Amino acid sequence: MSLTLIWRVRMPSRLATRAAILALALPGCDNAYPEVVVVNAIDERVVVRDVSFNGCLWSGVLAFAEATSPQRCPPGSDRVHFKKFDAAKYCQQQAQDGTIDGIGACDAGVAVPASPRDPGLIEEVPLWFNYQTLSEYEAQYGDFKRIELTPTNMEQDFSVPGPYGH
Amino acid sequence: MRSRSQPALMLLAGLAIARWSLAQDPKVVTAPAGDPGGSGSAQASPATSTSAAPIEVRVVGQRRQRSDRTADTVRVGGDKLRASPKATLLESLAQEAPDVYVTSRGAAIHGIASGATGGIHIRGLGGSPNSQVVVIEDGVPDYQGLFGHPIPDAYAPFLVDEALVVRGGDSVLYGTNAMGGAILLRSRWRQEQGWEVETDSAFGSYGTIRESAAVLGSSGPVSVAGGVLALRTEGHRTGAGGSNLIGQVAVRTRLGSGWEVTLRQKAMHLTGADPGPVTHPYDNHFFDVWRDRVSLQAAWQAGAVSLRAQPFFNIGRHELYDGFRSVDTTSGAVVESDIRLHPSVQLLVGAAMDRADGTAENRATGDRMRVRAQQSASWYEQVTVEPWQGLQLVGGTREVASPGYGLVFLYKGGFRWSIGEGWYLRGRAAKSFRQPTLSELYLPFPTSNPDLKPERSFGTDAGVGYASEHIECSAVWYRNDVDNLIKYFGVWPAAEVVNIDHTTVVGLEAQVVASDLGPVTLRAGGSWQDVGRYTKQNPSARGVFAMEAGQPVGIWRIRGSVEGEWVHGLYMNNYGQDRIDDVFVVHLALRARQDIPGREVVVEPYIMLRNLLDRRYAYVKDYTMPGFHALGGLRWVL
Repeated sequence: MSLTLIWRVRMPSRLATRAAILALALPGCDNAYPEVVVVNAIDERVVVRDVSFNGCLWSGVLAFAEATSPQRCPPGSDRVHFKKFDAAKYCQQQAQDGTIDGIGACDAGVAVPASPRDPGLIEEVPLWFNYQTLSEYEAQYGDFKRIELTPTNMEQDFSVPGPYGH
Repeated sequence: MRSRSQPALMLLAGLAIARWSLAQDPKVVTAPAGDPGGSGSAQASPATSTSAAPIEVRVVGQRRQRSDRTADTVRVGGDKLRASPKATLLESLAQEAPDVYVTSRGAAIHGIASGATGGIHIRGLGGSPNSQVVVIEDGVPDYQGLFGHPIPDAYAPFLVDEALVVRGGDSVLYGTNAMGGAILLRSRWRQEQGWEVETDSAFGSYGTIRESAAVLGSSGPVSVAGGVLALRTEGHRTGAGGSNLIGQVAVRTRLGSGWEVTLRQKAMHLTGADPGPVTHPYDNHFFDVWRDRVSLQAAWQAGAVSLRAQPFFNIGRHELYDGFRSVDTTSGAVVESDIRLHPSVQLLVGAAMDRADGTAENRATGDRMRVRAQQSASWYEQVTVEPWQGLQLVGGTREVASPGYGLVFLYKGGFRWSIGEGWYLRGRAAKSFRQPTLSELYLPFPTSNPDLKPERSFGTDAGVGYASEHIECSAVWYRNDVDNLIKYFGVWPAAEVVNIDHTTVVGLEAQVVASDLGPVTLRAGGSWQDVGRYTKQNPSARGVFAMEAGQPVGIWRIRGSVEGEWVHGLYMNNYGQDRIDDVFVVHLALRARQDIPGREVVVEPYIMLRNLLDRRYAYVKDYTMPGFHALGGLRWVL
């Protein structure tokens, strides 16, 4: 029955066919959204995670020189937001506080006893701090944007909004 | 702070344009005899005749909305909703009424819980959450047991016959939550004997696939209407995707002697996530919702008396990414009778009872939240008098009895006066109320307060309108005085939810439509309101416009529409804090329809181009809406 019906539908003209092809192509316009890649170029001892840019989110952890996979993001401008963990700074602090057996600070080859400034403030849990780039990047239709995170182009991010309750 | 000159400017703008939908005036459509399901009904009655064969006189038309024509309403047909380029049904309705504002965050899904949109504001009330506006679907108030408001994604136009937006409170007729207004949805039936199948398949940007199928049939005394909508989208950004599956079936049988029984069931499964702010997106803040609603309606009509009894049961299960899981129920029944006491006097009496209950737990932490069920019973009466032709007076009361809040007395009164040559005046005052939701009373999201009192509002409006063959326009002034408004303040853990003493919303709304100017119909409307300090998601001005045109081209009928929306004075918080840029967005829809000769078959390819100007805008701060995108599809009616 449906074949019969299709046969009875009068086929449109060449112009209408072109219009139909255009109409079929339009829904794919989001394929022209810019592709964005973010590279961790901060420091060999710094890792980042939850990198986001204008609605795109990369959930993995990026070691130094690693890049996110390309992701299509909505066109527009934004800073890159991320969580940063400084492994060297953490390690130095743990050594100073003497929280890990067998690991301590040394000075000129001589082990220095642990000297926590305030035992009550020893923090053993690795902390990831919110950071964002100083620069705002713009990505438009058709762009391939490669954004490098560098130590000179980042600041702490205090703009994290609270949840929106409906 | 808003400019002092803004109200005056908006007043001038509002008076310069006027409203287009004089919904109180019924459209003439064909309808089967004795449709008790809603406002639309036709009645067949034998006519006395001196001829041998009886002559059947069939009055074709729509019953006025429970006789009350004094309310300020907008009536939107299902075909128009299905053809709308807007992503959801509620957004399509808001396009038809400037004083109705609905938030959005994406191309298809509103969602639930944090980050959800779809809040309905009518004349400054509702929205956050949208529990001050009641949605009544096929005679059943639709709200969740725990959260006290409907799920915006539950409404899809594929089976809607007509939607009626009642602007201004009317708890006398619609009970709790009808403070800002009510949205009445009525599903369709096949009008003639036989069967029809309608399918609509569409695909679009962001991997969006939408498929709906409806089956309508009428065979002898039995009518069937069923349909399925399946929607899936990846969303315009991380976390904005989701899926929505809605199934609906209704069976109606005429038992004779004026009796008719209708059984309805509607189920939905909604999944998605809160994408979070665009600058700091969330990772997998998912939600998963199942809901099911069943209602049984028995209706009887004989002469000047009609009777309707309709029990209903609504159950839902909600699960969130953080371990939250709830199961809630809403149950109740409505018994209502409409009696024409005299050709100019109509009496509506009814009784209703409802019960909201639920359980909630956090499966991650093992916490169970204590919730106490809430129930109420009410009875109401409405008298409609037409002392002379063209003047209608309406008065009504409702008494609500609740174990928690005692006896609540509600009332309303209104008039509509057709003063001739197409002009009319109308006015109305109504006392309405909303009982606190179980969530506000008991659930810590972000906080609760078991001592909350019901909200009460006194709404008044007055307007003037004009209707002719090609021009319809109206202007309305309204004022809502609300006591005990329930508002959340602060953020967890210092958040609180309390009744606030008194607040007032004053506004103007106007619309105009110039229809059938050749192939073109033009619509425009605007509203302005002063919401005081409670500016959170409560815009001070809104404008809508549309141009529709249709033209036969060969065997095809091409229809197109351009419609747009402008929202001004939008804030993310109260006291005018966190201003959001004005919204201005334009959509385009193009449809080509071919009716295949000799068969009841319709083929209609279409395309919708949304955000035609590719503007960056947001209704919710940092929940940026998609840029230009498209949805194309094909509709078949067999």
